[in-house]
This record gives sequence, C-alpha cells and structure tokens, in this order.
Amino acid sequence: MNDMTRTGLETETATAKISARGVQVHYGQNHALKNVSVEILDRAVTAFIGPSGCGKSTFLRCLNRMNDTVASARVSGQILLEGEDIYDPRVDPVQLRARVGMVFQKPNPFPKSIYDNVAYGPKIHGLTRNKAELDAIVEASLRKAALWGEVKDRLDAPGTGLSGGQQQRLCIARAIATGPEVLLMDEPCSALDPIATAQVEELIDELRASFSVVIVTHSMQQAARVSQKTAFFHLGHLVEYGDTGDIFTNPKDPRTEAYITGRIG
Amino acid sequence: MSDNELHIMSAFDRDLEALQAHFLKLSGLAERALTDAAKALEALDSPAAERVIADDAALDELEEFIQMEAASLIARRAPTASDLRRVLAVMRGAHSLERVGDYAKNVAKRTRVLPQSAPVDGHAGTIRRMSALVTRMLDEATRALVQKDAQLAEAVRKRDLDIDQMYNTLFRSLFTYMMESPANIGPAMHLHFIAKNIERAGDHATTIAEQALYLATGRMPTDPRPKAGIETEG
Amino acid sequence: MTDLSAAPGFTARPKSSILTASAEMKRRNAAEARFKAYGMIAVAIALATLAIMLFTILRDGVSAFHQARLTFPMELSAEVLDPKGNRNREEMSKVTTVGYQKVLSKALLAELDRQGIAQEGVSDKEIGELISKDAAGELRARVLADPALLGTTITANVLATGRIDGFLKGRVTLETAERDSNISPDQLRLAEKLRDAGLLRSSWNWDFFTNADASDQRPEAAGLGVALLGSAYMMLLVLVMCVPVGVAASIYLEEFAPKNRWTDAIEVNISNLAAVPSIVFGILGLAIFINFAGLPQSSSLVGALVISLMTLPTIIIATRASIRAVPPSIRDAALGVGASKMQTVFHHVLPLAMPGILTGTILGLASALGETAPLLLIGMVAFVDNYPSAPPEGFLDPATALPVQVYSWASRADPAFIERSNGAIIVLLVFLVIMNVGAILLRRRFERRW
Repeated sequence: MNDMTRTGLETETATAKISARGVQVHYGQNHALKNVSVEILDRAVTAFIGPSGCGKSTFLRCLNRMNDTVASARVSGQILLEGEDIYDPRVDPVQLRARVGMVFQKPNPFPKSIYDNVAYGPKIHGLTRNKAELDAIVEASLRKAALWGEVKDRLDAPGTGLSGGQQQRLCIARAIATGPEVLLMDEPCSALDPIATAQVEELIDELRASFSVVIVTHSMQQAARVSQKTAFFHLGHLVEYGDTGDIFTNPKDPRTEAYITGRIG
Repeated sequence: MSDNELHIMSAFDRDLEALQAHFLKLSGLAERALTDAAKALEALDSPAAERVIADDAALDELEEFIQMEAASLIARRAPTASDLRRVLAVMRGAHSLERVGDYAKNVAKRTRVLPQSAPVDGHAGTIRRMSALVTRMLDEATRALVQKDAQLAEAVRKRDLDIDQMYNTLFRSLFTYMMESPANIGPAMHLHFIAKNIERAGDHATTIAEQALYLATGRMPTDPRPKAGIETEG
Repeated sequence: MTDLSAAPGFTARPKSSILTASAEMKRRNAAEARFKAYGMIAVAIALATLAIMLFTILRDGVSAFHQARLTFPMELSAEVLDPKGNRNREEMSKVTTVGYQKVLSKALLAELDRQGIAQEGVSDKEIGELISKDAAGELRARVLADPALLGTTITANVLATGRIDGFLKGRVTLETAERDSNISPDQLRLAEKLRDAGLLRSSWNWDFFTNADASDQRPEAAGLGVALLGSAYMMLLVLVMCVPVGVAASIYLEEFAPKNRWTDAIEVNISNLAAVPSIVFGILGLAIFINFAGLPQSSSLVGALVISLMTLPTIIIATRASIRAVPPSIRDAALGVGASKMQTVFHHVLPLAMPGILTGTILGLASALGETAPLLLIGMVAFVDNYPSAPPEGFLDPATALPVQVYSWASRADPAFIERSNGAIIVLLVFLVIMNVGAILLRRRFERRW
C-alpha cells in the first residue's frame, strides 16, 4: 500500500546535474533568496512551486545567469553545473546559456520564420558548418518539440503566426536546438489553454528522457502532473524538496501543507 | 497541524465538513445496527431482528451517497496532502462501515432462525459483550479518524486482539457443544457464524483506525496488525 | 431587499423600471452629451483654422506657379551683337545686357508693327519696359553659349515684367497703375491687346523651381532653386550626422548604459535640449561654428550642424521610445538561447525598432526642414543668386533654405514677392506632407509584415 504515496521511483537512480549550495540573492536591499541548497537531477523534471514572490523564478534565473541582466541583483553561494561553478569569474554567461536553455512564460518566438527561429541558436554558436547540417538540426529540434508534423510544410511562415501552444513548442524547439543539457521553463503554460497545456506537458515528459528539466509553475496540479521532484519555496526559503508524490500526499513541513492544500498559512 | 486552519476557499471547508458529518452518521447507523442485532439475538426477538435487516438499506444508501460526494469533492476541489488523505480515509472508512452493516444484517438473519432450534445457552451474552466492544471500537476509530487522533487510533488497533481472543474462546466453547450432541450442531454453527461476523466487524474497526493513522501520519502502519488466530492456538 | 438595505454600506434603491430613465441618469447622459459637444467644437475650430490657413496660402500662392511670358520672333542682328564680326566670345561679351535689351525692344516693336497693333501713346521705351529686365541677361547668356545663333531669327519666349504678370493674374489693375511709377494704365491696355494677339500669355512656371533668387526689380525671375538645393544639402548632411549618432546614443543609453545618476542626468539633459528654443541654437552656431571654428557663413554645412543639434534630441527620444517598445520577451528569448548583448540588440531589437526609428527620423527631418530661426542667425537669409557647387565643396558655398526663402520674400515690398512667398510655402508644405505620409507608410508596412 505504501507505493501509493510514491511516483517516479526511477529518479532515485539519477545523478545530480546541478548542485546549488547556500545560494543567496539580493535585489538591492531585498533579500530575495535565502541560503538555498538543492540537487537538481539529470533526466528528471524538477518543479519549483510557491506563492508569488517566493523566489522560485529568481532561483530559476540564477541557474543560467539570466539575473545578470538585472543590475541590482547580487548572487552568492555556489551553483555547480556538473561540478563547475557557473558563477566563477571565468564563466561567460553567453556560453553557459547554450548549455542551460530557457523557455519563458509568454511564448516569445522571434518575429522571423519558423526555420530562422530554430536555426538562430545554432547559427550564433557556430554549431554547423553548412546549410545541410543546419537543416538537420532544425528538423531534429522540431521533431523533439513534437512540432515537426505541424509545421514541416511551412517552415518559412512567421513563427508568430502559430497558435499559442505551437509558439511555445517552437520556443522549446529553439531552446533545444543549441543542444543544452538543462532546460529551464518559467511558467511555460500560464498563457496557454488546457489542450495546449496538455500538449506542452506531454512534451516536457518526453524531454525528460534527454534533458534535466526545471519548471517553475503556479499550477500545483501541473507540478504534480509533470515533475518527479518538487521544491517548495516560501519567502525566499527552500522549505521542502522531495519526491513529487510525497510532497502532494504527505508533505513534511506545515508551510508546504498549508500552501498545497490552499490554506491561509 | 496547519490543517486546523481554514481553507482560503471556504466552500472547500464546508464540503469536507459535510462529508465527515455524513461519515459520522454512517458510523452511528452501523454501531446501532450491530448493537440492535446483538440485543435481538440475546432476547431472541425476531421482530427486532427484522427491523435491523430492514434498516440496512438506509445504511447502504448513505454509504453510496458518501462515495459519490467524495468523488465529486475530488473532482471539484482536487484535494492534496492531508485533504486528499482525509477524503481517501473517509471513502475507505465508509466502505468498512457498510461492511459492518452487512455483518449486523447477517447476525439478524441468523437470529430469525435460531428460536426454532434447540437453545444453546450462555453464548448470546458473550456475543453481546463482544459486539459492545466492537461498537466501542468503531466509535473510537471513527472519532480518531475525524479528529485525526493517532493515539486513539493506535489504541483501537491494539484492542482488536481482545476481540480475537473472545472469538477464539467462543469458538472452542461452541466446538465443545457440537461434540456433545449432533442436535447442537445447527444452532452452534449459527452462533459461530454470528461470532465470526462480529469478529470481522472488529477487523473493520481496526481498518478504520489504520485509515485514521494514515490520515494523521501520511503512512500506513507498517508493523503487523496484532492478531490472535485460531490456527496458532488450535 | 429590506435585509440588504438594512446592512451598513447599502442604501435602499427604490425599485424602478429600467425602461424609464431616472433623473440621475438623465443628468449623467446630458453631461456626457455636453462633453462630446465640447470635443466636437474643439475639433471643428482646429479644422476650420487649418482650412482657412490652407485656403489663404493656396489662394495667394498657386498663382506663383504660372508666369506671364511674351512670345515674338526676333532677329539676332550680328552687327549689334558682334560688332567685330569674328564670333569671338571675348569680343562678344563686351556687348552688355543693355545692348541685348535694345535688340529685344526693337524686335517687340517690329512685331507690334507687323501685327498692326497701335502704340496709342505708349512710347517705344515704355514698350521695352514690358519685357522683364531678366530677359536681356538670359538672351545674352544664350547667345554667348551658341554664337551660331547670330544672324538668325529666333522665337523669343521671354518673361514679361512683374507688373504685367500681376495684371494677367488680377493683382495689378488700371486703378493701381495710376498710382504706380513702374507701370502706366496705357501700358496695361497695350498688354491687353498683346494678350488678345497671342503675344502675351501665362504658362506653367518651371523657372520657379530652378531659378535663383532675384533682385527687387525683377520678382518675375525669382525662383526657389538655390533654396531647394540648400535645403536638400542640409537634409542630407543632417541625415548623415544625426542618424548614426542618434541611433548609437539611443542604443547605448537604452541597452548598455548602467542606470545611475550620470545616465539620469544625460537623459534629463537630452529632454531639455529638445525643448531649447531654436534661436538659441542659432546663436550657438554663430558663436561656435562661424566665429570660433571659422566655417563660412551662409553655408549649408553650418546650417546642417545647427539643425543637427536641434534634431538630435528628437531622434534620440524617438529611437529610445521605439527601442523601449520592443517587448522585453524578445530580449529574454535571444539571451536565453545564448546570444550576446550585442547580438541581441543588432539581430532582434534594432530590426523591430526600425520602423519607429525611421518614423522618428523622418519626422525629425521634417521639423528640421521647416526650421528658420537659427538659419537666420548664421546668415542663410543672405541674398544668394548663385547655385552652390556640387558636394562636397558645395556644402561650404553660400546657400539658402526653403523656409528662409519664404521669410526673405515675405519681407520684400513688391506684392509679386508675397505671391512667391506663398508659392514657396506650398512647396514646403508639399515636402512636409510627403515626408509625413512616407513615415506613416513605412510604419504601416513594417508593422504589417509580421
């Protein structure tokens, strides 16, 4: 009867892709993230949940140094990507972001063709030597993003002309195209309808086979559906981190319990 | 625990309250059926037994209603964590209570046929005491579940041992009767099944207590349930 | 209902039909109707003002595009124009315009004779005065350019004097001629006959666009040529100087510069610069570019430098606004796939901001095109009757500009210049409208693309 509280036992054998140790983030005077330590597994989906302003998006953006673009942000502590500190002064964030891709809340394809959207990353990183190789990467990325069948006849059509769900999958294809190891997703379904959401969730579940996926979501049901590990953030603290099944049936911390059951806490 | 606090959505609280109220009512019906059946047996009161049989329909209906309500609550409120465990515990508990009602009904059915046979003295009293004990266990297990009281649930679970022992004693006594005279076999068999039914009702009380433990701790008890089987003593 | 009205914060609302408007509702509707009326009146006033302005300008200015010309056959007598008879240009140029004027007068008189038009008290000299003083110079230039014309009979098509032109356009009448020392009623009557005989007629005035300015005595020859070329030179220079600087400054301020006290100060000052009165820029230009740097007065380069100073803030503000209007999600997307800051800007932000930048630039240039005050101070109002040479030397030659030409014509005494001033305004307005429409079309085109 015990297995009822557990799902995704396969994660137990996975190795850590990203290890965060004592991460602190300040925005000016605001202490946004307090001493967060967490191991993010390879080939698994990790969900960050928590109320607005809890620091989950901040932490996500630390993982590929998107916070660098915010002038007032200061990050301390260690974030290791396969043992290398991504905040080491020798690290070029541009290079890092090719390995740690990101998908955003609002589908944001470039106002270019579908092909150019996907080809952009490989082009700027010089991943291909000729058009044939680029074509191959574009097709493989679109296939992985479960979009190839829908767009293969209109690769020259503007990416912004697709439906919301297709746009988001295009953004995922664009992120995959640079061959990342980690995919960060910041509320990727919050602008989508339920069917498109289901398609993206299905895609996320498939991506788990090749990537370490980290997803920030406001929908606890979504976290429960797609993730194997769940981390609950509250007021800048990582309150609880564990198997998704455990978090949703039997959380250890009263704050987690209060949050996921929808109580004032 | 934080679930003493209210949900942000008060309708959720009202739904959960209503579900538990119905569960308590079901528990009351089951306890009364068991008590009434035991009383009817002691008094060999056929009309009373008939009433117990007739009342079981209401019990079944209420159980079905609770299952429907629980399903609807899961669908609409998507409960998680302790809320989810509470709904699951109530669903399983209601199922157990419905079984208890069936056992009481079976006791009543057998009571109807007992007066025609030769009397087998002395056992009805034991059975009534046994049923009184089971009734109390049911009451406490239900309360433990609703109040999320792990200690009380653990106590109920331990008490199942007493029921088992009473049943074993009764079994040996009836066995002796049957050996004395073949004429005793019929009524003794009936009494044995009645005792077995009540013993099983006790098991269901334990199940409810275990659900209360699951609700309170998030884990089913892993230690083996205390058991005094006739096989080991036989 | 009673429960509700008893609760604090709720006042009892008497039950009424929604089919009849309440007094309160009527009052609100009336207020709304009044407000709409105010708005419509305001719009009507603005439109009426615009209409009156356009009507006045068109009424007074359209005639500038037509000009009275005299057409008559003329023998170019070799004895008069080339007294030595050797067709040597050096020798020929000793004959001044006065000589040519005589030839023209004689030819016109001969034509009058041939057609049998009586002079009726108009002297031979006065008949000669019907021909513009500009015509002799033009004829001389033509003959000197092609001495083979000597001895032949050509058809002269020369400007009539400004008063005759005014007479055909109704500006000069017999009554005004009584009081006019430059023309007599008899001359006008003769002009009428010439018109009836087909010698004098009004035709489309290309010279208005190509001629340089002309002196007070011959308004009929004045044209916008130098002003158009001067304005074109200036716009070209402004474009070359402002767009790269403005766009680069905007990109740096918007995308790269840290947000601190310094950039705040720069931002405030750019906004302030846009609000500085243009005459101040003129004084600045005079002090720095002419007195200090020693650049030639009245040159289009100095004009362009001064106008650039004024246009730069406009372009920077417009460019920054359109860069800021590019959704941040596009920057995130580019950074997210590992584009560098510069790649993000040049691959994504700038192309998306381009329609806005172009629109801002065109509108900035349009306002620069109409700028007058600073140009007055740096001497571009001077009388310039020579075309500036081709660039780049031409940028240093004296030139004038459209609005300045309007100003200088409007301040001259002869009503013929007022007409030309209005004509120049029409040309200026046409250019401004073309630029604004261009800006709108560009924006439409780029916005619809995706």
